[in-house]
Amino acid sequence: MRILTLWLIGAMLLFASEAEEIIKKVEDNFRGENVYMKMKMVITSERSQRTVEVESWAEGKKKSFMKILYPPRDQGITFLKLDQQLWQYVPKIERIVKIPPSMMLQSWMGSDFTNDDMVKESSISDDYDAKILKKEGSVVTIALTPKPDAAVVWGKIVSEIDTGNDTQVHDVFYDDFGKEVREMFYGEVKTFNGHHIPTVMRIKPLEKGKGKNESRVILSDVVYDQGVSDSYFTKQALKRYSR
Amino acid sequence: MFSLALKNLLHYKGRTVVTFALTFLSSLLFIVYVAFMDGWHEHMLKSSLDVYNNALHVYKKGYREEGGYDYLIENVKSVDAVLRATPGIKAYAPRLESFALLSTEKDSAGAMVVGIEAEKERLLSKAAASLHAGRYLEDNDTDAIYLGVELAHRLKVKPGDVVALIGTATDYSFAADNFKVVGTFKTGLFEFDASLAFVNKAYDDTLMMSANMASYVVASVDDLDRLDGVVSDLRKRLASDLEAVPWSTLMHAQVEAMGVDSVFGYISMGVFFVVIFFVIMIFSFLNIVGRTRELGMLRAIGLSPRDVTKLLMLEMLLLATGAVALSIAVGAPIAWYYELHPIVIQGIAEAYKEYGIVNDQIPMRFNVFTILWNGGVVFALNVLAVIYPIAVANRNTPIEAMQHV
Repeated sequence: MRILTLWLIGAMLLFASEAEEIIKKVEDNFRGENVYMKMKMVITSERSQRTVEVESWAEGKKKSFMKILYPPRDQGITFLKLDQQLWQYVPKIERIVKIPPSMMLQSWMGSDFTNDDMVKESSISDDYDAKILKKEGSVVTIALTPKPDAAVVWGKIVSEIDTGNDTQVHDVFYDDFGKEVREMFYGEVKTFNGHHIPTVMRIKPLEKGKGKNESRVILSDVVYDQGVSDSYFTKQALKRYSR
Repeated sequence: MFSLALKNLLHYKGRTVVTFALTFLSSLLFIVYVAFMDGWHEHMLKSSLDVYNNALHVYKKGYREEGGYDYLIENVKSVDAVLRATPGIKAYAPRLESFALLSTEKDSAGAMVVGIEAEKERLLSKAAASLHAGRYLEDNDTDAIYLGVELAHRLKVKPGDVVALIGTATDYSFAADNFKVVGTFKTGLFEFDASLAFVNKAYDDTLMMSANMASYVVASVDDLDRLDGVVSDLRKRLASDLEAVPWSTLMHAQVEAMGVDSVFGYISMGVFFVVIFFVIMIFSFLNIVGRTRELGMLRAIGLSPRDVTKLLMLEMLLLATGAVALSIAVGAPIAWYYELHPIVIQGIAEAYKEYGIVNDQIPMRFNVFTILWNGGVVFALNVLAVIYPIAVANRNTPIEAMQHV
């Protein structure tokens, strides 16, 4: 009995350790040392469809800078993520604004992404415990549950990961009551300087009444590990690079 | 039989006075308590209605469940025409509610920014009447904002200061502008004062790209008691993708909470009535047992047990009728007076502000039907209380009764 218990505990620790290793590889693959991207987000809702084009620079987990290129009405709006805080500059009112915690669950640019997604996206390995649910070929399904002291939005995330190229295939996000809230699909994996990246990401809310809603992100001009100037990761940059 | 019952009541003064007093006081207490409880609930609801919600809203179907810009009314003018033509509608105005970030150089706070038609809104909410500092909005204002006092406190701004508004327009582009604080309001409802800001809808529409759009149209009615009829009529007139929703549905949770509170109130009164019931029964029992020989004598000279039952029941009916009638005569004017001149308890609004109480007045509710059924309940209890003592009295034969010591 004791041997069986030890075996079970050992197997669980091994699975947990393997799951965390997989998540870390996915994050390292996606993040790189630093990365520059151009992306297009097509936001479809009940009433309309619109496109937003964004240019972004990121370094490690804690620093990223984004600038809206399109539509013209929003052109020049910049975002800075520094540690886990989100700042925004709006040229029309010439004001740098820190997005407060109460706004973190608000939609980002009318998409199905929240402000919180923009800040917390790369902290999965820090905030969640990972556990393998199943393996099918190279695809591993991992359940991510929040660590006890983690300030996170989701009650659980179930992520399917292709360990062949360390990329996500499909995520399902659950609320604190275990209800599915949204799912995210990843596709068209391309390789940039040794990093395998899904260049099309599609997020779909699962809440009632949002059947027609969808946000699709298409990456282009991806450049990994070529260095990003530190000047992007300051509050002054919000105004300077807005032009 | 009637004169005999009356003579008995006058003869057994102690029993008569105690039973009459108990019945009168319990009936009076019940009438006043229910008038107070109903008045309190009505006051809470009315406070909430008056502050912001008013009698009814017209929504695009789906807005109340999902919210957001996908379920906006996109042709306010057509709703305006319907409301204008509907009998019983007193006033109405569109509102555009959007969640936005208000920011100063040092502080930011999320807020519900409501685009309103300032003059029309005077008739529909307490926004203008709750002015705390500065002034209320005017119809020709442009970049003017009217903030809840707690929100202004969080942003550390006062009339004359400027706040930046950053939100999402109805086409989901960024909406941003600087607004001058023209005034602050204080309704006493903390959540309301801490999260709401009003701007002129005409100007807000240019920012939010929402011309001829609204989150909903709020309306008041001539007679709140006829609201169901007005809502029903309105539903027939509105386009199929729109819905008219009365305040009782909008404030469903609050209405239910008050229902639960009433149940607990009635349970408390129920316990009191159980005590009163047994006290009256014991008094009646002692009185009837003490009259065993007298009742035996009446049976011996020809009264049947049925006649004795009639006599004793008639005594109780006379007592209960007199006491309950007097309690109604006293209780009804009390309820009526305090409906017109509410009791004022200093500080009660502060203590109950989360329940929507915005002033220290507690009115009673005068309702003839309620008062009658309150008195009826006490009357019925009196009648029930005498059944067992009568049954005991009728167990004895006339001989046994006359030999009773």
